[in-house]
Amino acid sequence: MLNYLWAGMIVVSILSALGYDLADEINNKYQNGAHHRFSYKLSNIDNQAGFNTGYAMHYFSLDASAKKEIIIPVTNNLPELWKVIANKQSSKIKTELRVKVIEVNREQKEVALQLPEVHWIKIRAVSNALFEMASFAVKLAIGLAGIMALWLGLMRIAEKSGLISYFVRLIYPMLHWLFPSIDRDHPVLGSISLNMTANILGLGNAATPMGIKAMQQLQELNKTKDTASDEMCMFLAINTSSVQLLPPVTLIAVMGLGVSELIVPIILATTASTIAAITSAKLFARARNR
Amino acid sequence: MELTALIIPLLILFIISFGLIKKVAVYEEFVEGGKEGFSTAVRIIPYLVAMLFAIAMFRASGAMEAIMAVISPLFNFVGIPAEVLPMAIVRPLTGSGSVGVLAELIQTHGEDSIVVKIAATMFGSTETTLYVLAVYFGAVNITKTKYALSAGLIADMTGFLAAVIVSYWYFT
Repeated sequence: MLNYLWAGMIVVSILSALGYDLADEINNKYQNGAHHRFSYKLSNIDNQAGFNTGYAMHYFSLDASAKKEIIIPVTNNLPELWKVIANKQSSKIKTELRVKVIEVNREQKEVALQLPEVHWIKIRAVSNALFEMASFAVKLAIGLAGIMALWLGLMRIAEKSGLISYFVRLIYPMLHWLFPSIDRDHPVLGSISLNMTANILGLGNAATPMGIKAMQQLQELNKTKDTASDEMCMFLAINTSSVQLLPPVTLIAVMGLGVSELIVPIILATTASTIAAITSAKLFARARNR
Repeated sequence: MELTALIIPLLILFIISFGLIKKVAVYEEFVEGGKEGFSTAVRIIPYLVAMLFAIAMFRASGAMEAIMAVISPLFNFVGIPAEVLPMAIVRPLTGSGSVGVLAELIQTHGEDSIVVKIAATMFGSTETTLYVLAVYFGAVNITKTKYALSAGLIADMTGFLAAVIVSYWYFT
């Protein structure tokens, strides 16, 4: 399933990026190569073209052949299409447009301009995203290394002091129902219960190290090392459904105080998703082992 | 809402002082326990790269808009506002992406709209399934995930439907 989802995302992404870009190319959305004609006044700001022609004219008059490039700062009074092109041009400086002057007609006071060409936007965006994320993954993992060390260290103290085994004894009935094949005294139950508690309290960055620890201990019990065991699948399903009683910190950051009225719906919805996770994991396990 | 900020210091205080009472060499044990942190984090890098780059490509390519165009009539037919669809698609894929979707919805619909409330409930009630999967299985080098993904996605879908139903019932 994961193979298909992963490959599917990549194939669909590239195909749809190609599709969008080809459609843009066929419809000539960005009017590549078109000559935009404007009349100009010699003084002042020309409202029709929306840029400072006085400034531009300085360039025109310098060169008789008028095959010059002018730089137009991107402001709000530029035509819509120009703003879009400025934003999507291949040049890294999005705040200016480098426009070619094709022709200057001094009698009619007319000028023909050619905008930079815009091609393959989505494909470019896709390949940028690819490399950005590849290096972002490393940053994420390194950040996790510190948090892991912190929580694993604290867990070790709690384990040595016997705190965790008290805690496990307290919720053992529930743990036994979820993970029937694990012995009562196995340390993995400690990690699992800490992970669940951290999730319930909305401590996302504590839950992950404890969850990873639990996974590693489950792996020790696992007979086929490259394939997930039923316990691992159950544990993962519970984690992806997020059993939260306190609202996630990010939600508070985005929405502010309005979040307090959301607690009831969140608790109800998250309970439903957790029940679904446990039920489906149990059913899948039963179907597999028949 | 200050509760979450309070929990961690109190928890640490409790763990350390309980350790001291039980005569645990707290500093030594902390360092000993933290040792695996780095190697584990490094081990999950390839799994994270695989997952994150596929997701980033998916979001940058506009494929989501294409999928939305196909599904949104179905959503409207069932009576779910199609505006929450991006949240339903992005939430299992990326955490920061779904924060972005939520912020965008707040900006266009306002904090008090039912659309934002449904989306926020969705956000709060499920996790970034693919990220959790990559990190947890990556840490133990497991590539054959059996039915873990299916079970996770079923949980996500249930969470989304529940979010819609509960929000309508609670807020109207």
